[in-house]
Amino acid sequence: MNTVAVVEDNADNRLLLQAILDGLYEVVEYENGIDALAGLSANLPDLVLLDISLPGMDGNEILARIRADEHLMRLPVIALTAHAMAGDREKYLSAGFNDYITKPIVDEQLLLNAMEKWIDAGHDGQV
Amino acid sequence: MTPFTGSDNDAVLGEPPSTDPAALERLQRFGGGKLLREMIGLFMEAAPERIGAARAAVNASDAKATELALHSLKSSSAQLGALRMQRLSEQGETIARTGSLEGVDALVTGLEAEYPSIQAWLERARTAGNA
Repeated sequence: MNTVAVVEDNADNRLLLQAILDGLYEVVEYENGIDALAGLSANLPDLVLLDISLPGMDGNEILARIRADEHLMRLPVIALTAHAMAGDREKYLSAGFNDYITKPIVDEQLLLNAMEKWIDAGHDGQV
Repeated sequence: MTPFTGSDNDAVLGEPPSTDPAALERLQRFGGGKLLREMIGLFMEAAPERIGAARAAVNASDAKATELALHSLKSSSAQLGALRMQRLSEQGETIARTGSLEGVDALVTGLEAEYPSIQAWLERARTAGNA
């Protein structure tokens, strides 16, 4: 089973993702950027779901550190955000996220399809 | 037939509804009655704290802390279908993100006024979701 790291500070969102991913992926949860960066290096997942609005180090900064780290740089990373402003998608993709999913999660299939696509691309060395 | 209905506070003249029962059905689809009950439980723990944090941050003229509290509240409210809370939080978050708190006090007052009816609505949904 592929492993997915979820970086999310809100317990309700973690619980929801856990329910959606249950039985499909091994889920490892991190509540903040410091723990996530340490944990990702120690236990490399197949994909990262990264919340943007985190207290302290936000998702953009975590992504920049992932992309600057030789060991982590090829990890597929999907942004999870409740901002959803016009132009956000382009902004996140050009910042180096592989994909972008908005919260609230209404259609779980959109999320699952994006995850599958980027996990496959990651395994093929195309991230 | 769906076990969920709207809140008592849904019909305010000239405003979209306060709640979206379809959001509760979605949670049931994602994880059954267990997930629904747990999500409602977490919301009832977190929402009053976040409203309180937004109130304290507005009183302290701290736009960044206001933005963070309202952002979390917006996200949780949206996932549970507490639409009016979502709208009020989003309006406040958008203002606070610019560094201003102009009008945010009234929005937080709106959240404080709305929460009891949402709490009652979710209590009913938790019972209905058990059926």
